[in-house]
Amino acid sequence: MKTEMAGIEIRDLHLSFGETRVLTGINLSIKPGEFFAFLGPSGSGKSTLLRAIAGFGPQPRGEILIGGRDIATLPPWKRDVGMVFQSYALWPHMSVRDNVAFGLEERKVPRAEIRTRVDEALALVGLSHLADRMPNQLSGGQQQRIALARTVVIEPKVLLLDEPLSNLDASLRVQMRRELLALQRKLGLTTIFVTHDQEEANTTSDRMAVLDGGVIQQIGTPQELYDRPVNLFVARFLGTANILEGRVEVEAGAARFRTATGDVLSLPVEGRAGPTSIVLRPQNIRIEEQAGAGTLPGEVLHREFLGSQVRYLVRAAGTEIVVDQSHRAGEIWLDPGARVHLAANTRDAVLIAQEG
Amino acid sequence: MTQGPQPSGRPMSLADRLPAFLFPRLSPIALVGLFIALILVGFLIYPVLQVIAVAFQNPVTGALTLENFGDFFNSSLFRQSFFNSFYVSALSVIVATVIALPLAYITTRFNFSGSILIQSLGFIPLIMPPFVGAVAMQLIFGRNGTINLLLRDHFGITIPFMEGLNGVILVQSIHYFPFILINLSASLRNIDRSMEEAAQNLGAHGLRLFRRIVFPLATPGYVAGAALVFIKVFDDLGTPLLLNVNNMLAPQAYLRITSVGLNDPMGYVISVILVAFSILSLWASFLVMRGKDYATVQKGGGGLAKRDLALREKILAYGVVLFILLIVLSPHIGLLLLSFGTIWSFAPLPDGYTLANYVRMWEGSQQYVMNTLLYAGIAATLDVIIGTAIAYIVLRTGIAGRKWLDYMATAALAVPGVVLGIGYLRTFQNVDVPLVGKPLASWWVIIAIALMIRRLPYALRACMAALQQVSLALEEAAESLGAGKFRTIRRIVVPLMAGGILAGFVTSFATAAVELSATIMLVSNDRDSPLAYGIYLFMQTPSGRGAGAALGVLAVVIVALGTVLSQIIIERDKKLRTAGRA
Amino acid sequence: MRKILKGTAAALVLTSTASMAWAEGSVVVVTSFPDDMTSVIEAAFEAAHPEYDLEILNRSTSSGVRYVQEIAANNTADIFWASAPDAFEVLKSNHLLAQAGIATEGIPDMIGAYPINDPDGYYYGFAASGYGIMWNTRYLSANGLEPAREWSDLARPEYYGHVGMSSPSRSGTTHLTVETVLQGEGWEAGWSEWKWIAGNFASVTERSFGVPDGVNTGNFGLGIVIDFFGFSSQASGFPVEFAYPTVTALVPANVGVIENAPNPEGARAFVEFLLSPAGQQTLFDPAIMRLPVNPAAYDAAPEGLPNPFEDTSLGAEVLFDVDTSGARYYVVSSLFDVLITYRLDDLRAAVRAVQLAEERHADGSNAEAMALIAEARALIDAMPITEEQSLDPAFSGAFTATRRAASDQVEQRQAELEQQWDAFATQNYARARELADRAAAM
Repeated sequence: MKTEMAGIEIRDLHLSFGETRVLTGINLSIKPGEFFAFLGPSGSGKSTLLRAIAGFGPQPRGEILIGGRDIATLPPWKRDVGMVFQSYALWPHMSVRDNVAFGLEERKVPRAEIRTRVDEALALVGLSHLADRMPNQLSGGQQQRIALARTVVIEPKVLLLDEPLSNLDASLRVQMRRELLALQRKLGLTTIFVTHDQEEANTTSDRMAVLDGGVIQQIGTPQELYDRPVNLFVARFLGTANILEGRVEVEAGAARFRTATGDVLSLPVEGRAGPTSIVLRPQNIRIEEQAGAGTLPGEVLHREFLGSQVRYLVRAAGTEIVVDQSHRAGEIWLDPGARVHLAANTRDAVLIAQEG
Repeated sequence: MTQGPQPSGRPMSLADRLPAFLFPRLSPIALVGLFIALILVGFLIYPVLQVIAVAFQNPVTGALTLENFGDFFNSSLFRQSFFNSFYVSALSVIVATVIALPLAYITTRFNFSGSILIQSLGFIPLIMPPFVGAVAMQLIFGRNGTINLLLRDHFGITIPFMEGLNGVILVQSIHYFPFILINLSASLRNIDRSMEEAAQNLGAHGLRLFRRIVFPLATPGYVAGAALVFIKVFDDLGTPLLLNVNNMLAPQAYLRITSVGLNDPMGYVISVILVAFSILSLWASFLVMRGKDYATVQKGGGGLAKRDLALREKILAYGVVLFILLIVLSPHIGLLLLSFGTIWSFAPLPDGYTLANYVRMWEGSQQYVMNTLLYAGIAATLDVIIGTAIAYIVLRTGIAGRKWLDYMATAALAVPGVVLGIGYLRTFQNVDVPLVGKPLASWWVIIAIALMIRRLPYALRACMAALQQVSLALEEAAESLGAGKFRTIRRIVVPLMAGGILAGFVTSFATAAVELSATIMLVSNDRDSPLAYGIYLFMQTPSGRGAGAALGVLAVVIVALGTVLSQIIIERDKKLRTAGRA
Repeated sequence: MRKILKGTAAALVLTSTASMAWAEGSVVVVTSFPDDMTSVIEAAFEAAHPEYDLEILNRSTSSGVRYVQEIAANNTADIFWASAPDAFEVLKSNHLLAQAGIATEGIPDMIGAYPINDPDGYYYGFAASGYGIMWNTRYLSANGLEPAREWSDLARPEYYGHVGMSSPSRSGTTHLTVETVLQGEGWEAGWSEWKWIAGNFASVTERSFGVPDGVNTGNFGLGIVIDFFGFSSQASGFPVEFAYPTVTALVPANVGVIENAPNPEGARAFVEFLLSPAGQQTLFDPAIMRLPVNPAAYDAAPEGLPNPFEDTSLGAEVLFDVDTSGARYYVVSSLFDVLITYRLDDLRAAVRAVQLAEERHADGSNAEAMALIAEARALIDAMPITEEQSLDPAFSGAFTATRRAASDQVEQRQAELEQQWDAFATQNYARARELADRAAAM
């Protein structure tokens, strides 16, 4: 099964449901063969954007180019975009084989070829032996694979996955996302994956776009987004983030961060003066027993043992800060109520200037 | 769940000391079930058996025999009647489908402002009172009806719409297509939107999409509606009789049973065959639908995407809808003309118009209207109560034999009204009602009971569907918070089923209000007569036709108003619930 | 909402139970007469006897008989009131009528050739009716037809598809009409006439009032009806007319007191009122238009209503024999249905084929064709049983309601007989059509 690789280009896309604006000013460029994720909370517009690419929902304003061709005004059945639905949408009145063959039949592919291609597709997802079952005789994971086979068998230019793993249980989800990635790599299909789960997005995608309120907040690789979020939303949405409010003060070329409670952290030089938030990841904060330069005094409120790590919730600088300490055997843990001092590795911190 | 462990520590009563199989401990719900079973046996099974027993007796000696059935199958007339009934039923299903499909499709698939029109008008054909429907159809489509007179004058041709079996098929499909429309629309609305989108995504659209995906997914609803139409047409005798078509099974049964003084068992044999064939058809439709309860396997829901229509499409849609409505409402148009007309004889339209028919109708009919409201109201109320109880027992309990309640109640569909009426006369004429001093068969309550039994299947299906949509978790939540079974049913289950129960009530009420076949045998007193009987009285005199039609119009208006009112309540209820969910 | 519903239901129950109170003086009347007629007489009766309250129960004659039979075990009806004397004969033979012993002075024994009252005193004639032909004038002129005046006219080819009639098994009056012709013209000739008329049928209606209905609306042009249907349709303003053919019987419409009636005094009062001069006058109401049995009543007769006691030609042609009619009642009904009603399409096709063949060979010069036509006619005419058989009690026993001991042997069951007749008819009609078609092709 081979697919000609096509990139996706979205230019200035706007979409409203009646009076409600759902997507605003979407600009996006996805490279051929890329595994791309739309990540966002529910209501962020990520599914609406995916459906707009497939041609479902209200007609958007703007351009959607696939392989350089604008498909924004084409009906769904002329787009050559394969979509796997959250509910799988396997037709219950057709056998597995008939489900998978459907798209080929619609394309008037000769019967013999349909047979071989359906067999190939079922083999690809490892379910050849279930060809004659009805969908309601399959488990959730099997239905998922059949839905995938049904979509890829038509060799679409791009593959759209709408929360494909959300109906599976946790262990299956991890296994399926690996299989999905392996399949995508094998087929070289340009793929968009919609999810609200950052772990799913991080583990599968080459790059992703974080959406909120119908606007793309940031586009980048998982690492870029995690390490250098451009705003607090992205920072919070990707991983656990401790955010301290305060100001950056620049004095004689040295920058300092003064929290609302008056505590001071020293900063690398790049900080700009003004009201700012500082984002500190839990693993970039150490717990010290002694106060030192730029440490914040605090009190342990709560402790969770996560196996490889011990997570403390510490009240400091007028807020609650999550600190992860890697765990070594026999280590003595701090108990709630313990007085501690937090030292931040500000080199790994992200400064986000507050607007207004 | 019905037979909990015996509470210990209580003093042994006499019943406790008797062997358990003599007095099995029944939970209150099982007792309710038993009570309903007794009602069904007493007012349906036993009276019907009283009648059809004749089919198994030698007419002379009274000995048990099957020779009557041999006579049935040896008779070419009966074989032909059987074939005609089958043919008419099958073709009525097809024609009704042709009428219902575009209406269901347009209302469920498009943002179409005429949908409300279809929803409300689509129900009206069901409430056409007997006798008048066929009369009005003759006036419009008959050999010398409006259409054919105009065609003859202008084009010199006529079309035999109403000749022989054609007429029966036309009238029946116009009368019963709402069963398909209602069920099919509901099914279409329940289809998970992604089912359709997946197909579009894979390249299907338009009619192919409809044929390969949408319609197959709606088949359970369609089959349910079509089976109902098939059985109703198969069992119906009013329409063929009015159109003077005798060579069908139901009219043959009726003609033979009601002939003066004859002791011919063939009428009863045909009744048995009607009942058996109807049950067979129901069973076949259950078989077809088994394992195809697609509604429950679909998760997303939300119904099919509705599309806006382009102007040209809108004109086309309105054209199709109005054309179909014009045809299906033609009996009502004819009825209206007849009620306002003076003399209507061999002319496209009445000679003149008058209100005199309404005046005459009103003078003599108020009692009929009151009686109808009373009987149909009692019947429909009992129907939804029993329907809810049966639905609960069948779907939510493990009481042994609970399915039989469903089967028995549904079997009423297959019993021709005349058979039930005669059965009641045979069974209850000797049962005197205390205080009233009349036999039960002559007491007006028996009419309400007959209507209740006849319409129970409709209410039961509506209640079943409503209960299926109530999540078991909601009940369990109430029970875990300490509410007993009956309190849970009353405070949680019934309110959540309200929309469905009301729909059942309306269907039962509306169709009971115009029922005649069973009541005509049971009306024992002019003052106890329901409306349909009043129409029947009016319509048999030349001067009473207009007044009869006026009474028919009144019946349609009353029932339609009730339907619209409850539609509004159902809609409001639905909104309330969706608001609660969001 | 629930409260309102409850309130309304309660109000409904109250009002209707109040109205359904069982009046002390109520007289329950089972009748086949239309509301138009009963309401006029009811009003007159209740005016004359305010102590009684008439309860009308409308049934077709046949289901009325069935109803009285079914409720006999615990009878609640007082009066049976209908046209067809045969229905009364059935009730009488089932011992469901009482001998009321009502005086009938001033009323002659016979009307035309028919006895007015049951000689045994079980039922009484209160009005006379004759049978005839009604037609729609608009329909006939649109189709360029003349009205038919005699039964035999109705068999003429120009009336093909224009005639309507009910069936004797459905309507007591129709049964009388059929029997009148059979007695007037003889078994073979009578049946032949009926079949050739039936060949012109548009339809066989299920109820007797279906015929005036069909003529009034113009669904078909001519109908075979009892006179008052014609008169009252005319009185209602429909463009229809009515005529008595020469062969007709004037037969009384009857009333009888049901055995074991709950209100025998009231029942007697009603019958006496019907036969009284005041009761007889009500028959001239435009909605009723029946002929009184009391000659004195004719002084006030409206114009156009014949007086059978003076116009002796009316109905005098046939001496109607009730015993003959009663003896073969079911056989005639069943024969008519099997040979005509249920096989109307086959019969019409055969008759039409003969009509066309005769038109083709109107000059009669083609002897071979004429022979074929004659053969076809004979096939249509042929009857499966003879008049003697029809009157043989052993034969008609297959149709009767009385159940005998198992030792009594009845030759055949009704279903078997009907199947034989059906096979006979379909075969003959098909063959006749084939012969006539062959003749027409010559």
